[in-house]
Amino acid sequence: MSFKVRLALVILIVLVMFILHNSFWLWDLDSRLPLLFGFMPFAYSYYIGYTILAVLAMRLIIGLAWPDPPEDLFEQPEQKKQVETR
Amino acid sequence: MTNVLGIGLLLSYLFILIAIGVYGAKVSLKTREDYFLAGRGLGSIAVFMALFASNITAFTIIGHAGFSYETGYGAYGYVIGWSIFITPFTYYLVGYRSWLLGKKYGFATQPQVFGGIFNSKLISLLMLVLLLYYTLPYLVVSIIGGSLAFSTVTEGLVPYWVSAMILIGFSLIYTLPAGFRGTVWTDIFQGTLFLVVAAFLLSAVGRALGGFSEITSDIVQNNPAMLERSLAVELAPINWFSYSFVNSIAVVVFPQIYTRILAARSSSNLRQVSLYYPIALAVIFGISTLLGVWGSVAVPGLTGKETDNIVPLLIHQFLTPTWMVLGLVVVLAVVKSSIDSQLLSVAHLVTDDLLPRFKRINSQQAVFLGRILLVVFAAIAYFIALMRPAAILSIAGFAFSGFSVILPVMIGSLYWPRATSQGACAALVLPAIMLHLWYLGILPPWTTFGFMPVFPSFVLAVITLVVVSYFTPVPSPEQREKTFGLFERVFK
Repeated sequence: MSFKVRLALVILIVLVMFILHNSFWLWDLDSRLPLLFGFMPFAYSYYIGYTILAVLAMRLIIGLAWPDPPEDLFEQPEQKKQVETR
Repeated sequence: MTNVLGIGLLLSYLFILIAIGVYGAKVSLKTREDYFLAGRGLGSIAVFMALFASNITAFTIIGHAGFSYETGYGAYGYVIGWSIFITPFTYYLVGYRSWLLGKKYGFATQPQVFGGIFNSKLISLLMLVLLLYYTLPYLVVSIIGGSLAFSTVTEGLVPYWVSAMILIGFSLIYTLPAGFRGTVWTDIFQGTLFLVVAAFLLSAVGRALGGFSEITSDIVQNNPAMLERSLAVELAPINWFSYSFVNSIAVVVFPQIYTRILAARSSSNLRQVSLYYPIALAVIFGISTLLGVWGSVAVPGLTGKETDNIVPLLIHQFLTPTWMVLGLVVVLAVVKSSIDSQLLSVAHLVTDDLLPRFKRINSQQAVFLGRILLVVFAAIAYFIALMRPAAILSIAGFAFSGFSVILPVMIGSLYWPRATSQGACAALVLPAIMLHLWYLGILPPWTTFGFMPVFPSFVLAVITLVVVSYFTPVPSPEQREKTFGLFERVFK
């Protein structure tokens, strides 16, 4: 799979997460669903679930589009020690 | 007995900070990169705790609990929901590519990275001015919030002006001698401390109020509106949507956060951080939300700025005096872990990006000047904090919005080879001007179409970058190769 396709999948994941955060159509459930563990109403427990989903989404993004740099990337002679020379 | 225990706890805490400062100064090299960036050698836990602790301010414990007191459980998703995912995602989106450029070319700040991408001193200067302009109010907000909390927890025994002095003084104890390394080590210590103590505090308050289920039943019976987001005026969908563009995406633009990303030792360190971060953020804000909402039935009747006192009031009314001391330590830890990094990043920006425009500065001179600037900015922030210019949330909201509208230029520069320096300049200046026109009330509110000013400003930044870039000459192949040639070797 090319990097552009993988990047497109990353954008799709971000969009899904954004929609899930702005899920106003679910707000009706705030008063209808029972408390989770006796103290978490839906408006609160939803974001416990969202946190788990966020970790999974980041794990997926890492797998798709977060490669390590090649070992020789930082070893080239043109490296500019800008901070030390100014 | 309690006083002895309390004084013992406070002295132990202070001793650890001094020890970190002394040891950090001993192991630090007297070079610019070591003092301001810890030699780019931070491991996963150090980067994670440094990013997390620096990003948690008095707002988390004080302001957010107050907001939850007023709006209910929905405050959790409103303030931090989108951040739980998007903040660690921006560490990938902007952070990783910036880290690659920093490691390759020796860049240490945003003005260097983005000025370097476009080979433009003007971009570098604009970045510097905007970052300083927004960081200083944010720093002052942290000091104001922390000092108010400190003063409240001590029941006025320590007045506001002394509280502010203590917070700033304690921060300088280790930041001045040990620089970046000192702030990171104390972030690890203080971040762990406030997470653990906050969890115990929640448990203790819960028990004192009859148990988690009992207090929640009380809320369901006496204040059911706290459960429903649709009943909170502040959480109206248009505000909820707009707020997605305020705090969550601004974090990576904060210079103290951005610099910490550049200081990571390896790519895998940053990857680990992006997995730990959502959990830590959800935990600390989850605790703060519950304390605020529980407070609405346990200590009813607070209004306006009084609600910011809900956590100290809960401790005072329902827990033993020892908890007050622990609460004091948490406030100190939370506030200082952000103040120290903000102060250091401001001193770093001026030392590395402003002073060299006038005079050549070698590495050792930079460390010396950095230390002087730390004290100067600490004094400036202290005096502004004494004047207390506006309410905590509104100032933070304005600074956060300012940071947010810089993000499109950062993303465009790192992902779009066609972006030009002229486009970037225009996209930095125009949205900043519009943001001011809206916040200062010069433009009528209807011109934002009901959104918070940050959203149209953000959209304007994107449009300006694209349009002006297309109407200005294509960047030279050498300039593009420097950035995108590097990325092509990594992202295949």
